[in-house]
Amino acid sequence: MPQRVAFDDVSVTYPGMDSAAVSHLDLEVAEGEFLVLVGPSGCGKSTSLRAVAGLEPVSDGRILIGERDVTKVAAKDRDVAMVFQNYALYPHMTVAENMGFALKIAKTPKDEIRRRVAEAAKLLDLEDYLERRPKALSGGQRQRVAMGRAIVREPQVFLMDEPLSNLDAKLRVQTRTQIATLQRRIGTTTIYVTHDQVEAMTMGDRVAVLADGILQQVASPDDLYREPANAFVASFIGSPSMNLVDVPVVDGGVDLGGLVVPVERAVLAKASSDRVLLGVRPENLRIADDGAALTVDLVEALGADTFVYGTLQTPAGPVTLVARTQPSVRPALGSTIHVRPESCYVFSPDGTQDRLT
Amino acid sequence: MSLTSLPVSAGGRRTPSPRKRVPGEPRSVAYLYILPALLIYAAFVFFPFVHSIYLSFFEGNGITRMEFVGIDNYVDIVRNPILRSAFVHALELIVFYSFLPIAIGLLLASALHRSRIRGVAFYRTALFLPYVIAPTAIAVIWRWILAPRGPLNSFLEAIGLGFLAQPWLGDFTWALPSVGLVGTWIMFGLVLALLLAGVQKIPTELYEAARLDGAGPWMEFRAVTLPGLRYELVVALVLTVTAALRNFDIIYVMTSGGPGNATVVPSYLVYQQAFKVSQIGAAAAMGTALILVIIAVNLLISRAGRAD
Repeated sequence: MPQRVAFDDVSVTYPGMDSAAVSHLDLEVAEGEFLVLVGPSGCGKSTSLRAVAGLEPVSDGRILIGERDVTKVAAKDRDVAMVFQNYALYPHMTVAENMGFALKIAKTPKDEIRRRVAEAAKLLDLEDYLERRPKALSGGQRQRVAMGRAIVREPQVFLMDEPLSNLDAKLRVQTRTQIATLQRRIGTTTIYVTHDQVEAMTMGDRVAVLADGILQQVASPDDLYREPANAFVASFIGSPSMNLVDVPVVDGGVDLGGLVVPVERAVLAKASSDRVLLGVRPENLRIADDGAALTVDLVEALGADTFVYGTLQTPAGPVTLVARTQPSVRPALGSTIHVRPESCYVFSPDGTQDRLT
Repeated sequence: MSLTSLPVSAGGRRTPSPRKRVPGEPRSVAYLYILPALLIYAAFVFFPFVHSIYLSFFEGNGITRMEFVGIDNYVDIVRNPILRSAFVHALELIVFYSFLPIAIGLLLASALHRSRIRGVAFYRTALFLPYVIAPTAIAVIWRWILAPRGPLNSFLEAIGLGFLAQPWLGDFTWALPSVGLVGTWIMFGLVLALLLAGVQKIPTELYEAARLDGAGPWMEFRAVTLPGLRYELVVALVLTVTAALRNFDIIYVMTSGGPGNATVVPSYLVYQQAFKVSQIGAAAAMGTALILVIIAVNLLISRAGRAD
C-alpha cells in the first residue's frame, strides 16, 4: 500500500556544525509518486533522504509516512527500504539470502520468502544468480540485487541514494529507464536522490531542487525547465547551463554587451537595483547578423547539436556565453559572431535571485 | 619453460640482454639466495624437530644408551593421568586465553563502534601493552598480586570481602583459573586491537542496510559484525589458541605446575621430563604430541574460517 511522505518543516543539524544540513524543509511526496531530490554535493539531499529512513536524527520538525509521525521511530520500524550508492549487500549471503533477509527478520514463512524472492528475481532478471554471492556479480547485477532487496519487502516507501552513480555511463542510462519503469509498475512511493540533473529530469514525476540545505523549487521536470523559480534552479537544470549575465537596466530593457534586450518595464520595476540577471538558455541564443558581439573560444560539435562558447565584453568584465546552433554552423575559433536572445528570463541580482519575469 | 621476459627494443624486436633478467633466474641462483636462511632453519628448527620425533620412540636420559620402545611414550601420554591432565589443562586454558578475550573483545569492539568514544587509540594502546611486556615479567607481577598476603587479598579484606580471600595460586580449584585469567589479561588487548581494526573496515552502509531491513542490535551483530570480522577472528583464534597450548613461562614462574599437578601443562612437562628427571624420550614424545595437537587445532580453525 503506497503511502505519502511528508517533510513538515524539517531541519537537520549535524553536531558541531554551525549551519543546518537541511533547513526548514517542507515537502510532500504523494502516494505512489516518484520524487527526485537533486542538487550539488553538500546541498542536503542525502541528509533529507536519510532522515526519512531514520538514519539521521531530525533536529526540528516532523516526518510523516502516511498519517503516521515517524520522526522518533527507529529505522528498523519505519517500513522503508533503501538502495545505497554502494549497494551495501551482505557479502557473506547469496543473492537470494540478501533479498530475503528483511523478510527472514520479520519471521515471514519460508515458502513466502522463496516465492517473493523468485518474483523479484524474475522482474529484475536475476533468476540465474540467486545462489551467487555479491562478490561474483557485476556492478549492474549488484545494483539490481539492491533493487530486489527493496522490492521484495513491499515497503511503504523506496529510498534511493544515488543508486546509479557506480555504474558506467551506458549502463546508467539503461538502468535509469528500468528503475523508472519498475517504479511505475509497482507504484511504491519513491524518493530518489541524485546530483545528476539529467537523471532527475528523466526519472521524476516531480523534481525537488535543493541548494545549501534549502529547498529551491519543487515542480514537474517540464515546469522546472520552463519556469525556474530562481537563478540557481535555472542554471542547475539544463545542459549546458543557462547563460546568466549581470546586466545594467537601460531604456526599453537591459543592455547585453551593447544589444538592448527588451524587457517589460513592470518586470524591471520589481528589481531593487539598476542591475538584473539576464538568463538565456543556449538553445534560445541565436546567431544573427547583428546583436551582441561574441569572440568564439570553443566549438563543440556533438553530431546532433553544436555548442558555440564565446566571450562577451560587458562593462563588468568578460562573460562566457554558450549558444546551441545547427550542426552545419561552425564558426571559426577567434572569429566574432553576433547573437540575439530569442527569449529570456530576468532574475533579481540579489538575495535568493528570484525570477522576475 | 623459461619465464624470462626479454626487453623490447625501440624497434619492437626482442633483444636478449644478460643484465635484464627476472630476479632469481637461472634457478641455481635462486637456491643460492635462500641457502643461508635455509641452513639456519634446518639447523635450528627442522633438524631438532625431526630428531625429537626420532627420540620420542626411545627411552633413556640422553647420555647413556637409549632403548627403543616403539610408541610406548605416546601410549603413556594417554594412560598416565598426570601426562593426560597436562593436555586437559591446556584445553582449559584455551577458554581463558582465547574464548574469554574474544568474547569480551567482540562485545567491546561492537560497542566501541556503535558509540564514538574519545581516546579509543589511547585505550587500544593501553590494553595492548600486556601483550608487549615479557611474559616472565608479567608472571612475576601477578604472582606477587595473587600471593596469600598480596595486594588482591589485602584489597578484598579492605572492602569487607575478606571471606573471598584465597591463596589463589596454592589452591587446587583456583590455581588454574588464576593463571588462565592472567592469560586473558595478556591476550585481551591483542584481540581487541585486531577486532577493532576489523570492525572499522566494515562499511557503515551495511549496518544501515541491516537496520532498515529491521535488524535489532543482536541481528546487526550476527548479520554484519560477525561475518565482517571473520578473518580477524581466525587470526585471533590461531594466535590465542596457540599461545594457550604452548604456554610455558607463565606457568613456570607462577606455579611450576602446582599445587600438586593442578596446573601442569604439556610444555612444562616437556621441560620437567627433559631437564629435571632426564626422561628425554618421554619429553620428546610430549613435545611431538603437543605440536601435533597445535597443528590439528589450527587446521581446524582455518578450515572453519574458510568454510562458507
